[in-house]
Amino acid sequence: MRYSLEQLRSANARYGMFHAMADTVEGDFQFSAKDNLTSKGMETCAGSRILEGYVPAFDATAISKIKAAGGTLVGKTNMDEFGFGTFSANSGFEIPRNPYDTDRACGGSSGGSACAAAVFEGHVSLGVSTGGSICCPASFCGVYGIAPTYGRVSRYGLIDYGNSLDKIGPISADAKDLRKFTYMIAGKDPKDPTSCVQPDGFGEDRPVRRVAVPKEGVEGLSQDVADAFEKALSKLDSLGIETETVDMPTLKYAMPAYYVLATSEASTNLARYVGMRYGRQDGDLSLKFDDYFSDVRSRCFGDEAKRRILLGTYTRMAGFRDRYYAKALQVRQAIIADYKRVFSDFDAVLAPTMPFVAPKFEDISKMSALDSYKADYLTVPANIAGTPHMSVPCGYDPDGMPIGMQFVTDHWNENLLFSTAELWQENFTARRPEVVM
Amino acid sequence: MDRATVERVARAAHIKLTEEELERYSGDLNDILEYFSLLDEAPGSDVIGVNPIMVADVLRDDEPSMDIDPDELLSGMNTYERYVRGPRLS
Repeated sequence: MRYSLEQLRSANARYGMFHAMADTVEGDFQFSAKDNLTSKGMETCAGSRILEGYVPAFDATAISKIKAAGGTLVGKTNMDEFGFGTFSANSGFEIPRNPYDTDRACGGSSGGSACAAAVFEGHVSLGVSTGGSICCPASFCGVYGIAPTYGRVSRYGLIDYGNSLDKIGPISADAKDLRKFTYMIAGKDPKDPTSCVQPDGFGEDRPVRRVAVPKEGVEGLSQDVADAFEKALSKLDSLGIETETVDMPTLKYAMPAYYVLATSEASTNLARYVGMRYGRQDGDLSLKFDDYFSDVRSRCFGDEAKRRILLGTYTRMAGFRDRYYAKALQVRQAIIADYKRVFSDFDAVLAPTMPFVAPKFEDISKMSALDSYKADYLTVPANIAGTPHMSVPCGYDPDGMPIGMQFVTDHWNENLLFSTAELWQENFTARRPEVVM
Repeated sequence: MDRATVERVARAAHIKLTEEELERYSGDLNDILEYFSLLDEAPGSDVIGVNPIMVADVLRDDEPSMDIDPDELLSGMNTYERYVRGPRLS
């Protein structure tokens, strides 16, 4: 469905999904993209005040491919600053509101994208996942979302969070869009060498048949999520998909390993933001460079960005590097080996996407930084392993809030996910939010 | 992480912290690092790769190209005679 500018603006006023919006909405179809993907002529801030005013001179490869297919970019979606968050509440700008209950978060960090996908019919939004930033908001907003294999989609034009972790993928209320848009944006791009090692195909094209449910993936769930997941397992059984409980002992190390790698990479990536070249350039140039850089960065970075810069700088420092960064790299390989072991017997690994439904903003404000990090324990393992993973809606709590489950397949096997999502969609009755515009 | 270490790390990262931030980040980072100590008991691996997939040397074709007009790139920057303006070096 195509929406007028007035409709898009009206929805944005209520739900806050867009940071920047297009002036015109011509074209074959409309799409939006997370605000850490550069968009020619449209402000791109990655949720950070330090990039305020930055209007890129080029499109990210993923955006240019959709435009080439006839898509019109109607907006850039709100997000946690540089992707640093689980609820899109760590934004330097507007915080997107959940279309099922506007007192609740959309999830993060691609919260605005999942919100747009839930609110606008037939709308696809590009998200970016580093530790779960596509599946978490897809789950909280009751839509489908896929993070393809690391390297499947060129990261050219993506404002880096963690280079070894970042992945671009579509979010939509229609499962069929995951296949269509992943095919559209995937492919080798000389501007991102990591995209050039991908195989030509997307693996075997059929729904999964045998699925492993890790014991570690059903611990610590809220009762509503546990109940919905149990029902979903029964439904899978009725569709001829066999599930079996397995042990994946390395999963418990994924969280600390992920946060060490992510913050280490983030702290180096964010070193480029010093009040020159892009974004805010309003510092006092008469200051010595050290003072100028520190002044701009201290004024413009948000609380969580500063916390992660400090953490990542510390874990890379001489004397600590081996204990944290080097060990985290080793743990990543152990986790990948654990997944490969399971994939020798199963098509996919399955668990709920998030341990609880979208929380209320008042509850998020009471969470410590560590509490917030720990909420990612179900999405982080597949992200650190670079394996493709997808969230599908699988139930609703008594208040009508969506619950999602996440399938993970082996590297380069996205077709298993697409076919499974399409089968699931035919057999699961999704509820759309009551959208007010 | 004690306050002195937080101060040292912040200086290295070009972040100025207020007294309140120093206190708060010191507490937060201590909690987080304590949680990270779980890594001490984690299994290691003989393989250390910086990417989750194997990325062999991938090189672009050695062909000169001009993808973006330099003047367009400079248009959003604070410049002086096509040079990017920056602060004093000393």
